Amino acid sequence: METVLSVQNLTKNFGRLCAVNQLSFEVKAGQVFGMLGPNGSGKTTTLGMLMGVTNPSAGTFSWFGHAPSHLIRKKIGAVLEHPIFYPYLSGQKNLELNASIKGTDPANIARVLELVELTARKDDKYKTYSLGMKQRLAIASALVNDPQVLILDEPTNGLDPMGIAEIRHIIKRIAADGKTIILASHLLDEVQKVCTHFAVLRKGQLVHIGPVDEVGKGEEIVEVSAYHDDLGVLLQKFEGTKTVKKEGVNYSVHMNEGFHSQDLNRFLFSHNIVVSYLATQKKSLEKQFLEILSENKK
Amino acid sequence: MLHLLSIDLKKLTNYRTFWIVCGLYFLTLGFTTASGMEFLKWLASKGADFGATININRIPLYHFPDVWQNLIYISGFFKLILAFMVVISITNEFTYRTIRQNIIDGMSRAEFLISKVLTNVMLSALSCAMVFLIALVTGMIYTPELELAYMFADVGFLGAYFLEVFTFLSYTLMLGLLIQRSGLTIVVLSLSAMIEAIIKANIDDTLPWLIQFFPMEAISNLVTMPFPKYVFQEVQDYVSIASVAIATGWLLFFNYISYLKLQKSDL
Repeated sequence: METVLSVQNLTKNFGRLCAVNQLSFEVKAGQVFGMLGPNGSGKTTTLGMLMGVTNPSAGTFSWFGHAPSHLIRKKIGAVLEHPIFYPYLSGQKNLELNASIKGTDPANIARVLELVELTARKDDKYKTYSLGMKQRLAIASALVNDPQVLILDEPTNGLDPMGIAEIRHIIKRIAADGKTIILASHLLDEVQKVCTHFAVLRKGQLVHIGPVDEVGKGEEIVEVSAYHDDLGVLLQKFEGTKTVKKEGVNYSVHMNEGFHSQDLNRFLFSHNIVVSYLATQKKSLEKQFLEILSENKK
Repeated sequence: MLHLLSIDLKKLTNYRTFWIVCGLYFLTLGFTTASGMEFLKWLASKGADFGATININRIPLYHFPDVWQNLIYISGFFKLILAFMVVISITNEFTYRTIRQNIIDGMSRAEFLISKVLTNVMLSALSCAMVFLIALVTGMIYTPELELAYMFADVGFLGAYFLEVFTFLSYTLMLGLLIQRSGLTIVVLSLSAMIEAIIKANIDDTLPWLIQFFPMEAISNLVTMPFPKYVFQEVQDYVSIASVAIATGWLLFFNYISYLKLQKSDL
């Protein structure tokens, strides 16, 4: 797969504070790449350097194998932090300005406005827009040049659940077109729902990188309950059991590697116990994220 | 180049404040420069109250070729209003953070600066055109005998005027880029000449030759005050090469500092 972005030892110091520390990673074509990290972990600073608004203190990066330049930025669509537009211009006029800077055909504007469902409000001044409309206009402006890569920084910040769902829907639609997307967020749920790969930043350092699919692989946790007094004792006897915990009416069984919920079910049935409740707990990204962060706290 | 100018104009021409400030500028510039005769008449009537007779027809304020230096000198005072527009234009980019988005969208920092400098060129040229028209029309009205040779004799002052306005707007752009806040920039800009005057007064005895090199002094030296000649004093009725050289030096310096500042800062 073609490498879209390659970052080597990227570093940014603000005085004594090291906001981004020796960051290296690669993004391949077609990935939806999530950048996770608590607030202040260096996500926006990193994206700012990649988009030429923040000067790196050290390190290099390349887009599509080329050294960064303003000409390459014209092929990327990016929204960093929050939407930025001229408040006194209408949505349409703002996009005309974006298109003009990017050197792209203004005929695209109607299409992207339609995509983010702003056509009806395009002639109203930007300052009259609601937050959700502003975010959507920002996505429209990032898409106006039909970019190869889309960078979104907290695109659902401050939105209501409906707005979040709308933006997520738009991102998925764009990803389905085969575009590469880099998405910075501290909303783990969001990243798990739309991303294919993710990286975790902590205090400017990369502490984890990998595919989202791998989250939840490995040991399983199975919740089980049955109308049987000896269930707890029996569960201890199962060879696939690592630990058993009683949580309310259910038992939570931490399984050994290689054992799954069906093995447990079969074992119990062979001992004449029919379960009334059986659920496999997938390890969520949130859980993994917190684990990664606590592992790296030392 | 034209593409960059059109980008900056797109930002300005849809901005109501721009039209109001520009409208006020050209209106006051036009009225003030065109109403010199009315001022002389008023002066004469006041003088008559004290028994002094001033023959205003003996003062060729609007006669070719005097009209050029006279009107251009007066017009120089109004460049401050034009500069306010430049302050608003550049500091808005910081308040709205749109400079950041412009770079993200694929402008280089140099291109951003060029788009602003080109607007300064355009504003200076428009101001020149305006002064040229007023001087031409008033000159044709008031000059008793029109002779082509005299008509455009001193039109060269217009070139100096262009340099004066353009250098001042470059200074303004630099201040705006360095300070980034409109209010503070306008205060510093308005006080510049005064601060410089205080420094000049203090070195007047020790280093008088240095004074001509001060930026505000250099800008105002391009077109000197012509009026004392009507009371038979000697005035500089030409544009000195030295003043053009010094002002050009400042022009390049201001825009270079703007360039350095833009290259170095995190937006």
